[in-house]
Amino acid sequence: MMNASPKEKTFNMMFILPALLLFLVFNLYPLLRTIQLSFFQWNGIDKDMVFVGFAQYKHIIFNNPAYWKSMLNAGYITLLCLTLQNGLALLLAILVNRQIKGENIYRVIFFLPPVLSGIVVGLIWKFMYDGNFGILNSWLAAIGFEQFKDFAWLSEIKTALSSVAVVHMWKGFGYGFIILLAGLQTIPNELYEAAEVDGADKWQQFRHITIPSMIPVFTMVTVLTVLGAMQIFDLIYSMTQGGPAGHTDVPITKIYQYMNNGEFGYSTAMAVIFGLVLLIASIFQLYASKKFNK
Amino acid sequence: MSKRNIIIALQSLCLCLAIFMVSGCSGGGSGKSEDAVKIWHWMTDRQEAFEKLANDYYKLTGVKVIFETYAPTDVYKNKITAAASGHLLPDIYNPQSDKKELASYINAGYIADLTDEMNTGWKDVFFEKSLIANSFEENNEWGVKPGIYGVPLDVSSLMIYYNKDLFAQAGLDPENPPKTWPEFIEAGKKLREAGIQPFVSGFGEAWLIGAFAASYQWSLFGKQGIIDTIDGKIPYNDQRWLKIFKLFEEMKDNKMFASGIVTMVNKDSERTFATGRAAMTFNGSWGVNVYKSMNPSLNYGLMYPPSLPDAPYPLLVFGGDGSSMFVNAESPRKDKAIAFLKWFTEKDQQAYLAKETLNIPSNKESADDLPEILQEFSKSITRTFENLPKLEAWQVTNYININLQSVIIGEKDPVKAVKEIQDEKIRQMKVQK
Repeated sequence: MMNASPKEKTFNMMFILPALLLFLVFNLYPLLRTIQLSFFQWNGIDKDMVFVGFAQYKHIIFNNPAYWKSMLNAGYITLLCLTLQNGLALLLAILVNRQIKGENIYRVIFFLPPVLSGIVVGLIWKFMYDGNFGILNSWLAAIGFEQFKDFAWLSEIKTALSSVAVVHMWKGFGYGFIILLAGLQTIPNELYEAAEVDGADKWQQFRHITIPSMIPVFTMVTVLTVLGAMQIFDLIYSMTQGGPAGHTDVPITKIYQYMNNGEFGYSTAMAVIFGLVLLIASIFQLYASKKFNK
Repeated sequence: MSKRNIIIALQSLCLCLAIFMVSGCSGGGSGKSEDAVKIWHWMTDRQEAFEKLANDYYKLTGVKVIFETYAPTDVYKNKITAAASGHLLPDIYNPQSDKKELASYINAGYIADLTDEMNTGWKDVFFEKSLIANSFEENNEWGVKPGIYGVPLDVSSLMIYYNKDLFAQAGLDPENPPKTWPEFIEAGKKLREAGIQPFVSGFGEAWLIGAFAASYQWSLFGKQGIIDTIDGKIPYNDQRWLKIFKLFEEMKDNKMFASGIVTMVNKDSERTFATGRAAMTFNGSWGVNVYKSMNPSLNYGLMYPPSLPDAPYPLLVFGGDGSSMFVNAESPRKDKAIAFLKWFTEKDQQAYLAKETLNIPSNKESADDLPEILQEFSKSITRTFENLPKLEAWQVTNYININLQSVIIGEKDPVKAVKEIQDEKIRQMKVQK
């Protein structure tokens, strides 16, 4: 490419141009427009928008505790996903990687929940959790936990957010599983054989071969988990609508709520802040993984 | 670089641009070449009845009318907002908004003024209350020219349905439901003792819990008191607001709420009531059709939300217009759209709609032939909330609804709840300034 003639460069550019155009129209323009809108007060209908500068940002940061509470809720779900969901995904990936019988069946089974529609999954689980009709309570009562007979998992402060998080983890762990399994399969067997010759036991092999080799994969899974969990919406929307009393609200449901109430400018400012939080989190993770890699 | 390669590259570019342009042009709106009147509605269960009437109208006039229905309501609302921004609104639609937002649509020129048409005698066929939500008074705070802008297709109100069989099972008189608050609580206790969940409603949907509380707001404050609260002259930690929150606390303390009520959407609440898992439910007149489809043998009656013995004002109920339609002021088929709506709201068409969908027609003349239960609802239209010249900020209303949920789940006591609402009111008043 270094020696390509201007004519060749122009020709090559023509191949990039369609994708670039699509990117500009469907990604860059909406992004810039969102940032622009966040400085205006606008209800989506009026022909005139009122410029308010950083006033909406100021209000969100200092006067909107519900928004920050929703951020904490999303953070809680993310934390559970990073530990429990990814821990389970890694464990299952290691087990399947041991060339057990029916390896492909496990892959299909574990990858089924992620491909299901979030709304459908949410509605099914909502029905399972239901205090009046739910099968979860019937099962619990059948094994002796009678106190859960009418227990409304999604309406109790102590269980609502965790119940939604469980569904998100159930739905999401398959992604991590597939990526981690693919990562495990790229580690050359020779490394384990050499370690065995040197007398390393299974734990030492895992600690000194598997983990260091998997760090780039862990980074990717972690970033994807954080982005996926923080942006949770469809499950919340179909299961609790942010309730009880806002205890399962997450940033996207708040943004949606404000937009639905004609606060387009304000909700875009919320979206920009949320985008920045995610960007910072992702940069921090990449930086940490690079440092760890060294 | 061969000529062939250049041609391939150019073809690829053209293909991408074509896909882009086609995708940009697809969907929604009233195509300029079409001559049919296009209507967007959100009640998918009425599609068949709408289409039948549209066919009748075509046979009668030769004008084609296309009904497109989109659910759920918030998806419909988003579609309307997006279409308005792109000037792609259909000929007839409903912005699904409160009066403030409706005013924005009118001021932006997206909704036609129907006052002149209505004054030709059209408005006389409607229930008076059904026009209130679509009308703007002189000197309204949104600067909208006074007049009538919407056409009500049906009316609705919210009352309490009660299951007569479950009442009898609990030793209550099924023909004499509770009328006052103490009677209501007493009935709840008896039902609970009989192992029956006393009360269910879609309180996970903020507007329903708000509508229930608003009946008591009207009863304790009256119209002027509500306006004074919106103006900030009466704080939300006023004793009367505290009393409203205490009503919910009293219901909670007497275990009146069905399991999971605070995250329950209305559809789930309707299923709970229809299957006999709760004895009372707060729901709209559309519930008649819903319960008929879910459980045709359900034996139920209707009652007003129980009144407070010492309340200074009458107890009103949420309601008035059910679904109204607005004509797109930018539409080239505006006159055809108005003519269709006039025909659509005539007695025969309204009677057909009422029969097919079990809703209360907006045309008064058609209401006489309704089933008994719908006639009761129809009578309640005169007891629905009055028109207000201003609205509370939605953020404050949202705080009220969320804090009512908090009281139900025992997270907050009424004193703390009303204090937080007042704090939010102060925040919003600062923003408005």
